[in-house]
Amino acid sequence: MNTAVLEVRDLNLSIDSSNGPHQLLDGVSFSINAGETTGLVGESGCGKSMTALAILGVLPATGMTIRSAGIMLNGEDLTALNHAQRRRVLGQDISMVFQQPATALDPVFTLGQQIAATVHRHGISGRKACRQTMLESLELVGFSQPEKIAAAYPHELSGGMRQLSMIAMATVCKPAVLIADEPTTALDVSTQLMILQQLKRLQTEYKTAILLISHDLNIIRQCCHTVLVMYCGRLLESTDPESLFSHPRHPYSAGLLGCIPKLSATRPPPINAIAGQVPALTDLPPGCHFAPRCDRAIAQCRHTAPEPESDNGRTVACFRPMP
Amino acid sequence: MESVWQRLRSDGYGMLGFYIIAVFALAALLVWSGLLGQSWAVVSGGRWESISSTHWFGTNLLGQDILQRTLFSSATAFEVGLSVTILSTLLGTVLGALAGWFRSSWLDELILWVKGVLDSIPFYLFAAAIAFALQGNRWAMHLAMVITFWTTTARIIRGEVIRLKQREFVEAARAIGLPPRTIIFRHVLPNTSHIVLVQATIVFVAAIKTEVILSFLGLGIQNGVSWGLMLAESSQEVLAGHFGNFAAASIALFLLLVGFNLLADSLQDAMDKRRSVS
Amino acid sequence: MVVISCALLIWKIVYKPMNKLPYFVRRLLFGTALVLGVTFISFLLMVHFGPDKTYELIGKNPTEQQIAEVRHALGYDRSFLLRYGSYLRELVTLDFGLSDSSGEKVSSMLARSLPISLLLVVPGFVLGNGLGLILGMLAVWYRGRWLDRLVTGASVAGMSVSFLIIIIGLQVLLCTPHGLNLFPVRGWQVDGLASYLFYVTVPTLALVLVTLGYNTRYYRAIIADESEREHIHALKAYGATPYELMLKHVLKNSLVPILTRLMFSVPLVLISGSLLLESYFGIPGIGQVTFDAITSGDQPVLKAVIGLTGVLFALALTVNDFLYKVVDPRVARS
Repeated sequence: MNTAVLEVRDLNLSIDSSNGPHQLLDGVSFSINAGETTGLVGESGCGKSMTALAILGVLPATGMTIRSAGIMLNGEDLTALNHAQRRRVLGQDISMVFQQPATALDPVFTLGQQIAATVHRHGISGRKACRQTMLESLELVGFSQPEKIAAAYPHELSGGMRQLSMIAMATVCKPAVLIADEPTTALDVSTQLMILQQLKRLQTEYKTAILLISHDLNIIRQCCHTVLVMYCGRLLESTDPESLFSHPRHPYSAGLLGCIPKLSATRPPPINAIAGQVPALTDLPPGCHFAPRCDRAIAQCRHTAPEPESDNGRTVACFRPMP
Repeated sequence: MESVWQRLRSDGYGMLGFYIIAVFALAALLVWSGLLGQSWAVVSGGRWESISSTHWFGTNLLGQDILQRTLFSSATAFEVGLSVTILSTLLGTVLGALAGWFRSSWLDELILWVKGVLDSIPFYLFAAAIAFALQGNRWAMHLAMVITFWTTTARIIRGEVIRLKQREFVEAARAIGLPPRTIIFRHVLPNTSHIVLVQATIVFVAAIKTEVILSFLGLGIQNGVSWGLMLAESSQEVLAGHFGNFAAASIALFLLLVGFNLLADSLQDAMDKRRSVS
Repeated sequence: MVVISCALLIWKIVYKPMNKLPYFVRRLLFGTALVLGVTFISFLLMVHFGPDKTYELIGKNPTEQQIAEVRHALGYDRSFLLRYGSYLRELVTLDFGLSDSSGEKVSSMLARSLPISLLLVVPGFVLGNGLGLILGMLAVWYRGRWLDRLVTGASVAGMSVSFLIIIIGLQVLLCTPHGLNLFPVRGWQVDGLASYLFYVTVPTLALVLVTLGYNTRYYRAIIADESEREHIHALKAYGATPYELMLKHVLKNSLVPILTRLMFSVPLVLISGSLLLESYFGIPGIGQVTFDAITSGDQPVLKAVIGLTGVLFALALTVNDFLYKVVDPRVARS
């Protein structure tokens, strides 16, 4: 039995607007274990990236408020830390790989400078030592000529190389938890595979727990030990990928899986797109947010939000789960 | 446009700016229709009379009523501001759109060259040169401003058109074979209207401020009076301790400019919000 | 019309092969084209359309021959292109002849007055931009809070005050018995640091006040834009401190627009700024020389000043492109 290295308890995130606050995340609770990969899936705009940023406490806009019953990293509550203490943890114990390495790396510093600055920030002093650690991290993600990459500016590298360098920057301090926000979405298929393999290697090397955010169900299926399904800021189902894919219990999960085209099918399969549209954040339906699009919804679903219920290592938030 | 107006309504500072401008515009309209400030040139008292019930702001060196001159000057400010703003905005929008649409073509380079040349000539000297060339024509100042002020508008519109040209609706319009003229004027330029509006308020401010300096240099308003001329007059008076002209002109000028700057800010904010939504 | 279509034709012929040249050669060519354009327009306006000075220089009831002699002496009988050519030669050799009003050599007038103007505007230029940058950074640092509002509000107010009002107001407040009466109303008798400060303080204050609103606003917008960029948020996730973000990452990314503004305001402040300051405070710099030339229609002086500042501006434009290459790796290595 693995121990939970990161535990998120009842995470709420709201943003102020002219007509009152809007709920971006609503009671998100989950934990991830050391050395395991946890997948977070959902349609774009459902709050996947916001979950990552809220865990780190790095919010992109003003007017956002985080409330939670605690974000425990190795038993330490991140929400109880002051700014300076939090900065010590960020990049060292918990780190993040962003979706767009082209915009998430500073264009006017070389990669070496940026990675070395991260090393320096977290307690390694001396130019030489920083540089050594920096080069090792580049080598570890698979660069055969780390000096060359270190001297390059982000725009001089290809998308895949940029993403590898960012992974090197995120893992240079050997964090316990790595959040990877759609790390392969901006890349072509062959590069995707390489990036995922490198993440896997780093995981076995450092026992890192990875929170892999993706909308690509195939990637989730290949890489994850646990899958979290998110819709409109709420977690609807969490389980291991095998049971999810063979046997989804939440109607939304079932709908999401129905959207994967199967190449092996002899006949073109019926298109199982989920009926209706994702509601706007400003106009979330009461009760279960998925109810208006759900063909199993009953009256209760439309006014009460179902609480997540655990059964046999599997959590589902639904009044009428699939059998 | 409606959404911008609604956003403006909800912005206190923007509305304050709008009301200030409206008051001055009303004064200007009344001057133009002959109801206000008509006796700006009449000698109605002694030199440098102080504030009284007949001369609310006192009189100047020649014994002219400073209030009358201040009011008349608001019409001058709007005459200069409106003519320069409208013409330079038109010129800048059209040339900027052409340069942006035909980016990196010889036309673009030519327009950029003309813009570069005009930006490289020190403005007050350019105004002086135009004044010489037109041999004291009263529109020389306006012309000088129009010729030099369009460049900023053109640069901004050029950038915006380059941005818009990559958008789907423009690509769609090109795909169905609409001629560039139709796309630029029917589909692209209307989408820049907010930027044009903000830029126009900024040009208005620049025009009024420039008039002051040019009038002080003797290159400005010729038959009439303006806040700039009043300030130029006052530059000698203040040393002798007569502040009527200086106070009246600088307060009126400051208020109108604050009005325009607040409005420009508010419009810019409304536009940024609109952009971040779309 | 003929001139325009000829220019278009030349442009097209020259333009096509130009695209194949290396970047810096093209920039240099563009710079040269700018200088030619500036000089051409100023020549067109001041010499070709400018006032005819024949009758100012000759006595009453002149004979045909006298008129022709004066016109020949002024060069009016030569063709347009020849006269433009000689203007270009004047620019290159810096020999602009004699001033119409004082009879002094224009080049020596400029050589005498330029250093004074530099001494006059440099402190104000440095302070105006330095303070503007600092205030802009502070406003972004305290974004949405009272300090930001104060700075933004004050810069709107500053942008709404005319240069002339600031000059007159400061003069009354600091230089006359109606105010503090600490500094001289006019003049420039500088022979040391004390006297320099005595004469330069009020003009410097005026220059700072008139530019600070615009500078603060500009720098605030640049800094705000740069601190919104995704890599700044990403760096927060790696534990970067706010100081590190602002002073290292935001500032270095803002360097290009900041340098651009600095480059372009040099000729502007030097000529337009000193024009008002010097004519108002009676300082014998290049602005005063220009002001006198404007009011008296002194063509040789105006020609020299316009031509030279045009060249200066075109140079700034070209140098600016090269500066990009130095400070911005994205341009440098692409």
